[in-house]
Amino acid sequence: MTLRDSLSPRSLAGRTALVLLIGLTFVQAAGLTIHALDRIELQRIAQSRDIGIRLMNLYRSVVLTAPPQREAAMREMDLSDGWQASLRNDAPAEDMPLTPTALRRPIMVSTGLVSLQGPLRPRETLMFGDTDTRRLRVATRLPEGQWLVLDLPLTPPQIWHSRNLLIAFVLMTLAAALLTIWGVGRMTAPVRTLAMAAERLGRDVNAPPLPEDGPLEVATAALAFNTMAARIRRFVQDRTFMLTAIGHDLRTPITRLKLRAEFVDDEELRRKIVADLDELEAMVAATLAFGRDITSDEPVTTIDLAELVRTILDETSDMNPDKAGSLGYAGPDHLPIRARPVALKRALTNLINNAIAYGASATATISAPIGGMITLTIDDDGPGLPLADIDRMFQPFQRLEASRNKETGGMGLGLPIARNILRAHGGDVSLTNRPNGGARATVVMPV
Amino acid sequence: MLPRMETTNNPPPLPPHVLVVDDDRDIRDLLARFLERHGLRVTAVRDAREARRTLPLGHFQLVVLDLMMPGETGLDLARWLRTPASGQSGIGIVMLTAMGEETDRIIGLELGADDYIPKPFNPRELLARIRAVLRRMGDNAVHPHEPVAQIWRFNGWQLDPTRRRLHNPDGVEVPLTGGEYDLLLALVERANRVLTRDMLLDLLRGRQAGPYDRAIDVAVSRLRRKLEDDGRHAQIIKTVRGGGYVLAAEVDRL
Repeated sequence: MTLRDSLSPRSLAGRTALVLLIGLTFVQAAGLTIHALDRIELQRIAQSRDIGIRLMNLYRSVVLTAPPQREAAMREMDLSDGWQASLRNDAPAEDMPLTPTALRRPIMVSTGLVSLQGPLRPRETLMFGDTDTRRLRVATRLPEGQWLVLDLPLTPPQIWHSRNLLIAFVLMTLAAALLTIWGVGRMTAPVRTLAMAAERLGRDVNAPPLPEDGPLEVATAALAFNTMAARIRRFVQDRTFMLTAIGHDLRTPITRLKLRAEFVDDEELRRKIVADLDELEAMVAATLAFGRDITSDEPVTTIDLAELVRTILDETSDMNPDKAGSLGYAGPDHLPIRARPVALKRALTNLINNAIAYGASATATISAPIGGMITLTIDDDGPGLPLADIDRMFQPFQRLEASRNKETGGMGLGLPIARNILRAHGGDVSLTNRPNGGARATVVMPV
Repeated sequence: MLPRMETTNNPPPLPPHVLVVDDDRDIRDLLARFLERHGLRVTAVRDAREARRTLPLGHFQLVVLDLMMPGETGLDLARWLRTPASGQSGIGIVMLTAMGEETDRIIGLELGADDYIPKPFNPRELLARIRAVLRRMGDNAVHPHEPVAQIWRFNGWQLDPTRRRLHNPDGVEVPLTGGEYDLLLALVERANRVLTRDMLLDLLRGRQAGPYDRAIDVAVSRLRRKLEDDGRHAQIIKTVRGGGYVLAAEVDRL
């Protein structure tokens, strides 16, 4: 599975889970961001207030002390946290950028220095430094003209209070993701069941019905599916019944004609009549075989495929002694496979007869099994197949226009019957043209 | 039993008498004419009721029985024929079955019918089947009308006459052509007895399109291949000098 495949899954469960997981990720990320922004804001406010109040207290202490004693008083003061205070006669050097208003204003508001009136009011306040310099320098000009300069550390706001929060967050997200994948898998399981049931119905019209339980929508879908399957079954049964009835009704007149033919004195004429009747009978047999699902009631047994193919070739050469030389087999002497013998024989007979009828020869080859599947090819030396018609040839009652003459006969049911039977065996048949001319029927079947 | 003893006792033997039971009037009449033309005596009736009435009147050797008849079916009549109450339990039965109705065929053979032929049949093949059944009934070595449903076994191979199937010692089905099956069944039924080429030719008549005598050799060599019986040193189907074949094996019935 490539990265692209895992990023764009094809299954309904995968896609639903992907959408839900992307949504979950977005929600979690947004929640985390809101939390962090809120926390930063809170820290800023708390920090500003803290700085402001301490600034105010210091300023008041200094201003209320008589100027001569100020130096001594300041030395007495306990300034923790890396705060440094000094008195200067001139303005401090501007070696740091001016503090941005966003940081300066909340501090100034907290100090209350702005609203201070009368003799205590500072003549001027300068503020340097920001979160980048990590330090703040506040210079306040006392009413007497001296500068009170304060240097203090400015700690940037912490987004994470603790690592545990992050771990808890990740665990929560993972749990939600797993729950999503599990839940989606469970909820889409009925869709898979439905798909498998439809697949089974395609192979076997008498497949058992779906259980009509589960969530309301699933039960409704199963009920609808079972109703549809029942209708298809009835349709197939009706069609089978009709075809079988026609076949049975034709049986009596064909029998009569065969008997009447025995009283025709002209031997040549009799032979031709019998040949026509045999052809008619074969057509009825093909219609009956197509009408009824001949594979459905026949038990699966172990049969020697190699001998089956050779027996069909032998029977073909018995029926057409002039073709005996153009029939061939190559492959193992014996190859037991699990199959429905009568049905499989009909399928392979149809393919070999096709090769004889259209290609005037038939060479059957069985190749060694690959991955549990054996391949049987039936080659002829005929003109090959028009590429445009190959797909059409597996449709019932479709025959190549050029071959619609008496000599090749048939109703266009041979290939559809062969394909139906082989698919019911878990295999298939396809037609191709051989590179050196002639057509090839390729049969694959599980061993 | 009685009718056959009579025919064998009369010095100039009458041709075998066949009862045709079929509800279709044309088929009945045509079949009677066809069989008569080929040297059989034929009486034709239209249903099982008439058949029961007619059977005691003539000395019938064989019934050609249509299974699909209105009223009492051919299967019911066949079942009744095989009971001692009918007084006809030794009679030969050839069934006319519907194409593809395997169940009818198997039930019929289990009831004790001797052979079957699916409709629409080739009249000459039907004639061959009738003659084969009559010949088997006259053959003292083969017990006529033994339930066909039993399976023959030889050298580990099994031949199922009901389904016309051959299984090898591993239980794998080995397909046979119709001619090969008839040939093998004849050899198995008369195991360790020589079958002349003439007898075998009769079996294959009506099946093969080519020259018959070569067909025998071809069918035997194919059978040997399928039985994995080396042609030069054949152990199962042996060639008899002077023209014939024999199945040399212990045969028993399951």
